[in-house]
Amino acid sequence: MLSINRKTFRIVLSCLVFFAPSYLLPETTVHGQAKTELAQPAKPGDSSTQTGSTAAIPVPSTTTGPTDDSDKETIRQMLRRIEDLEGRIRELEARQAQTAAPTGTGTATAQQNAATEGIDSPAASPTNTNGGQGAIPPVAITHDDHQDLPNGPPRLQIQGFADVNFRATNEKGRNNSFFLGQLDLFLTSRLSEKFSVLSELILEAGEDNAFTFEIHRLLLKYSRNEYFNLSAGRYHTSIGYYNTAFHHGSFFQTTANRPFLFAFESRGGILPLHNVGLSLTGRIPSAPLGLRYVAEIGNGRAARPGARPVQTVVDENNGKSFNLGIFARPRQVPGLQTGFSVYHDRLTRPGVPTVDQTIMAGHLIYVNDRTELLNEAIVFRHAQAGRIFYIPGFYTQFSRRFDNLRPFFRYQYVNVPGDDPIYRAVGRRNGPSVGVRYDLSDFVNFKAQYDHTGRRRLSALDELILQLSFTF
Amino acid sequence: MFRANRILNILLILMLMSVPILAPANAVEERLLSPSLLLRTLQRGDLAIIVHKSNPVQNLSMGELREYFLAERSHWSTQQKIRVAMREPGSPEREAVLRLICGMKRDQDFTTYFLRAKFSEQVVDEPRSLDSTPNMIRFVANVSGAIGYVRADEVDPSVRVIRVDNLLPGDPDYKLVLP
Repeated sequence: MLSINRKTFRIVLSCLVFFAPSYLLPETTVHGQAKTELAQPAKPGDSSTQTGSTAAIPVPSTTTGPTDDSDKETIRQMLRRIEDLEGRIRELEARQAQTAAPTGTGTATAQQNAATEGIDSPAASPTNTNGGQGAIPPVAITHDDHQDLPNGPPRLQIQGFADVNFRATNEKGRNNSFFLGQLDLFLTSRLSEKFSVLSELILEAGEDNAFTFEIHRLLLKYSRNEYFNLSAGRYHTSIGYYNTAFHHGSFFQTTANRPFLFAFESRGGILPLHNVGLSLTGRIPSAPLGLRYVAEIGNGRAARPGARPVQTVVDENNGKSFNLGIFARPRQVPGLQTGFSVYHDRLTRPGVPTVDQTIMAGHLIYVNDRTELLNEAIVFRHAQAGRIFYIPGFYTQFSRRFDNLRPFFRYQYVNVPGDDPIYRAVGRRNGPSVGVRYDLSDFVNFKAQYDHTGRRRLSALDELILQLSFTF
Repeated sequence: MFRANRILNILLILMLMSVPILAPANAVEERLLSPSLLLRTLQRGDLAIIVHKSNPVQNLSMGELREYFLAERSHWSTQQKIRVAMREPGSPEREAVLRLICGMKRDQDFTTYFLRAKFSEQVVDEPRSLDSTPNMIRFVANVSGAIGYVRADEVDPSVRVIRVDNLLPGDPDYKLVLP
């Protein structure tokens, strides 16, 4: 009979105790696993099915030597920490069991997530209610396509914006009034991985107290990648910064109204802020400073007296407007944006020579969670029958947030020559605006603003606007 | 008989001593790792940025992370669409990401930011909000373009940890640390 003597048994036992852990531990549970993954990218579709410990901590390859006394102490501390964590887990489990019983929140959330992602996640199974204490189920499915698609047909998402105002003014013929701003219904829907739809529907009352309804944006967007995003439909022209940053909802604006350079066409604005056509945007590959481009072609703005400015259905000429822009958002200075754009159109009026319109716009913006600094300058160039007319304009706006309070200051200027062929009635306007925005809640804010506007050959306007704007 | 037993005993001892040599490389490496780094990760509350295992990205700077989490970038270099996963409002992991990566002190700033980004055609989908670490890991493990974050001591092998400014959780100058 073979027998092992006591001394040998002791040696064998020691060897087992010393070496067995490193041998018996599954490969996935050691720290080296995470390290291996960091060094070697996993192949697509790789489904790691290893199970074991749920906590594998990546550790850099520069490691220390053998265990010493300090390491033993460290291990003791780690064990204590693990005990603490286990205690926390037990506590959370108990709490989860109390809350999950009536609502089933955790499971429902997982199921909802999986359903919305269009993924058959094993974790979303109703039977899996372990709260993540067990091993994460093996990754069996990788949906490269349509992972954002909901099950079934596209789903419409609606966000509403609105504002209620009071205005007191010294303008002749205008009484102090409460008034409703625009009711803005913002619709989005994802159609596929690359296609989406966006629309902005505006319902507003005019000076005659009658409501009008208009589609201000309607875009079918194709996003091939971040370098190529093509939109077709009615869009907000990318002239400068303000028009594509704030659109119609006054909720996002710091001020109660837009700078008059960027006032909408229906309210006497001089810029072609809406257009119908195609818009192409994206990053410029390999370009420094986070350079992006925009190229747009559309019907442009109507110039005939009495015509609606935005040519949604019929263009008054065969020439198309185009807008080319480039802007930078350098990664090194988060919140900084600067850019330049050139817009061109031909404006035809019956009985008078065609006006060649060029609009050059530049902006320098700095926005972070506290500070807002907006600076934009625009120059119109109107060429008609050998004569050239320039319209300069700019605004600068500064605000700083103190908790929920944001005081602001704005100065704006636009000067249309008295003989300009298109906008002579606008004249010169310039002046400061001061005010404060107070966030009543995440989705409701109150603004109080005072405007002083000097006008050429007319008395200055003083206006006080109180506004409640909200999103819902 | 006695000699045979002795020879067998010696053979047995030799076999056991050879175990570390024959054991998998990771297991050997495991024995050499210092627990102090692990403890530092635990004590300091390092956050690990995790991506899907098929994602080839190895390292991102804090600036790049900011661009990804704020949807200023829409696609990975592989043309895969980026899907950002965030923890639910109020969780310390989310607060750390908002503060350290996004430069935002208030959760409502992040909400408003994405509402506005959606409004200005910058994004179509808002970040996915997940209410637990297992759900976060599950999401990132299942969605090929996903990027998310968990406490470094909660990472599991179904996802991959990427370096931030060439550092990993546990490294001395690692910046993503829970408050």
